[in-house]
Amino acid sequence: MKKRWFHLIKVTFLSIFSLMMIYPLYWLITSSFKSNEEFFAEPYAFPTSISWGNFTRAWEVADLGTAMINSVIVTVSATALTVFLGALTAYVLSRFTFRLKAFLMVFFLLGMLIPIHSTLVPLFTMMNQVGLLDTYWALILPYTAFELPIAIFLTVAYMSSIPKDLEEAAVIDGTGYWGIFFRIMLPLSVPALSTVAILSFLRYWNEFVFALVFINDNSLKTLPLSLSIFSDGFSTDYALTMAAMTIAVIPTIIMYLLFQEQIMKGMVAGSVKG
Amino acid sequence: MQANLKLKGLLVITLLPALLLYSFFVIIPIFWSSYYGFFEWSGLGEATYIGFQNYMEVIQSSVFWRSFKNNMIIVAASVFGQVPIALALALMLRKRNWFQKVVRSAVFLPMVISTVVVGLIWGYIYDPELGVINAVLRAVGLESWTKSWLSDPSVNMYAVAVPIIWNYIGPYLIIFIAAIQNIPSEMEEAAMIDGASGWKKLIYIILPNMWTTIKVAVVLCISGSLKAFDQVFVMTGGGPAESTEILATYMYNNTFLVYRYGYGSAVSTMIIILSLILIGISQLLMRRKNG
Amino acid sequence: MKKALLGLVIVLMLTGCIPNADSETTNEETSGKTTISIWHNFAGDDLRARKVRDMIASFEEKNPNIEVDEQAIPVDGYRQRISTVAAADELPDVFLTYAGSFTDEFYHGDLIQPITPLFNEHSDWKNAFLDGALEPYNYDGELYSAPVAMSATSFLYYNKDMFEEHHLSVPKTWNEWMEVIEAFNQQGITPIALGNKAPWVAQSTTFGAIADRVTGTEWFLNAVEQDEASFTDPIFLDALNRFKQLVDKGAYADGANSMDNTQAEQYFAQGKAAMMINGAWSLSSLGASQSEEVLNNIGVTVVPTIEDGKGSGNTITGGPGGGFLLSSKTEGKAKDAALDLIYKLSNAEAQKQIAESNSMVMYDVEIDKKNVNPLFYEAFNLIREVEFAPVYDLYLTSEAGEAVNNGLQEIMLGGDPEKVAETIQKAQASNE
Repeated sequence: MKKRWFHLIKVTFLSIFSLMMIYPLYWLITSSFKSNEEFFAEPYAFPTSISWGNFTRAWEVADLGTAMINSVIVTVSATALTVFLGALTAYVLSRFTFRLKAFLMVFFLLGMLIPIHSTLVPLFTMMNQVGLLDTYWALILPYTAFELPIAIFLTVAYMSSIPKDLEEAAVIDGTGYWGIFFRIMLPLSVPALSTVAILSFLRYWNEFVFALVFINDNSLKTLPLSLSIFSDGFSTDYALTMAAMTIAVIPTIIMYLLFQEQIMKGMVAGSVKG
Repeated sequence: MQANLKLKGLLVITLLPALLLYSFFVIIPIFWSSYYGFFEWSGLGEATYIGFQNYMEVIQSSVFWRSFKNNMIIVAASVFGQVPIALALALMLRKRNWFQKVVRSAVFLPMVISTVVVGLIWGYIYDPELGVINAVLRAVGLESWTKSWLSDPSVNMYAVAVPIIWNYIGPYLIIFIAAIQNIPSEMEEAAMIDGASGWKKLIYIILPNMWTTIKVAVVLCISGSLKAFDQVFVMTGGGPAESTEILATYMYNNTFLVYRYGYGSAVSTMIIILSLILIGISQLLMRRKNG
Repeated sequence: MKKALLGLVIVLMLTGCIPNADSETTNEETSGKTTISIWHNFAGDDLRARKVRDMIASFEEKNPNIEVDEQAIPVDGYRQRISTVAAADELPDVFLTYAGSFTDEFYHGDLIQPITPLFNEHSDWKNAFLDGALEPYNYDGELYSAPVAMSATSFLYYNKDMFEEHHLSVPKTWNEWMEVIEAFNQQGITPIALGNKAPWVAQSTTFGAIADRVTGTEWFLNAVEQDEASFTDPIFLDALNRFKQLVDKGAYADGANSMDNTQAEQYFAQGKAAMMINGAWSLSSLGASQSEEVLNNIGVTVVPTIEDGKGSGNTITGGPGGGFLLSSKTEGKAKDAALDLIYKLSNAEAQKQIAESNSMVMYDVEIDKKNVNPLFYEAFNLIREVEFAPVYDLYLTSEAGEAVNNGLQEIMLGGDPEKVAETIQKAQASNE
């Protein structure tokens, strides 16, 4: 009886909690169907009519198609680079002992403390001198660099918990270091790596300040830049902003729903092994 | 000897790409930035060397220390809000039925929304006229509790901290779920045989096995909160009257609003130093607890 | 081992610092086509932004030898972007500036060059600018830009029906204003809508006008120069206290400091507040978002006079707005092309186009009533009968401007005007 009550309370609590988490997104999506007048008059009501006008207008004016392609290119490349470099570095840092190891670990972790904005001006000057500005690299490389510390941190923590017997067996079988990395460590670290991938994907997809400063060329602009186009400092077109934001958020939700199964599967694999 | 050489080669090849990338884009700019801190520079034209003046001004600035205090509020809210909530959720969400899956997805959902949108939405939730919070308070007869949440300096910093917590529970939840699932099942079974259940199991088996992960989460929390920027910037811009200024917005406003690049650079150097000290302290505290 | 790392860092710094082959001077291409770059902030969907972009496109069409590399940057990030590229000495050939300290910085940094020849060539055009229009861009007798906008920041908008319904008349003096505010408060109506989340709003729309009425323009200009006038003078304290009086009378809604300007406009347009003090930008945004009926119910006038103040009452804070600047690095064919482009974007035709997109200009131009919204037409005529008073943040250093902005928010939160005055004075004095 006591258990049943407990269960009921738990389910109620979790349901309310979930609603709180979901509500803002629901609000964003319903708002994007409203006209500006309706948005201000009835901010919480369901839209009186479903019209796609805001979406088509926002898509055209802000050239969201191009922005979407750019965001995909930058985000996917940077995420892949982050996962690969993070895994490789974490493998070495968690599996080998060498003199610089402790120092390197601290050196990388320092990066987690650095506010991204404090490096804007120097980074701009440096990238300008090596001719990186106005290329996809101007985003891919700094994004990866800033995400590496967390990637390494999470992956090292996870890899350290993987027992060494598998590797030892492989060494006896004559497998080289690279073989161990690609065939044993990488597959076993999928849970940690999917977490890294998701976190970095989301951060890159939504990043605004670097994109603003390092990219001039209209044809290379990413999505977050296109979201502020409807605000001119004096007034904001909320209807178009909401529509553009909804368009921008859809790919991340799809990505997440796809990836989420991946994580859960990876976790099960992890616990079976444990 | 040969094996040793081969190992050294491997170490260099594997570590170099990440090291180069990281040094070039993260570390070197910091040195540049702390160097700029020695100049009076409007960002345009000539910079004049002024020694430690900027750094002295930062240390003496009351707004800087208010920002630091505000940052501490966010840090505390994250460490004592995000971590326990995520931990509790992780313990409740150990089954794989559809209900729990939905809850998990819901908790992670705010992560996918850009921080700019998060700031905007919460700005509305807090609105004194149209906002949900005041509407609910009025509905239950607590009219006197209604406030203009973001502009009343006695509450606005706490109001600002809530969306930041809300935004990032998801990743901690995932980290914790992964950690719980990695607790060797023999241990739990053994505990069951010994008759340990419920709270006892939690205290003696689950938590100790998760301690490393929790420590990781706390460090992530601290560093994440010190870097917080976007949501505050969108919701209040550090105002009104700099009452919700945090370190990053203070630095940003000085650099890009007032055009004091030198001073802004000195502020960012100070932020890094303060962060290092904080992380150091937190590590010490938790080591003691652990031992 | 630390040495090894230090070595690595030094190598990286060196390679990072060796200037790469001049990728910067791509102004003139070998193909015979001249490329010029232009940056502006007309990026949005409003009428004026679309018209300016069309003008640039038509310029490119009519000049097949010139290629225009155009960057429309959202207003939110515009200043930051321009500042960053200016810091790296990478300014585009032509770029939009704001009048005042922003332009001063470019001038003092030797980053821009005069466009005086353009004015000599087209003297009719030069003479058609309103009085004082070119002043902010005049440095040592050379002109650096032609304004394509007027900033008029302090119109008093009022809801005609609400005044009628409560048998009140539109206030002409400070005392009348206080009475009106009290009357609306008694009816449970917010007297004045204000969206001061971005803290420049109260300063730019309201305080500048009040202060000018109290201190007079001359005192302010002296205080800016720190010439026998200081922001701790009793007269300025009186101005701050007038603002405090507004706050204490309950002129503003509770959350005014967390509402943005658009929200305040909507609040006013929906009849939740009786008045709003806002700039000319509201003419275009209200025009775009409200029905004809709502617009006809809105009246527009100047902020009430202050009887015992030193300033003239019939003023609106404002003056010349932004214009296009020419980078000091642009030379030869590219310079000719850039000058042509600047002319095209600020000549008589351009000014008319901009005015007819419901935006004020500093240029003597007739507009067709049919092409603009009724509210704009009323304001357009009003502006010709008033004088301009300085907008505070266009004259103060950016640091002192911020001090005023934050100080007004402090006063709204119950802060002490005397302390606010001290902070402003300190900020302004530190840059002299």
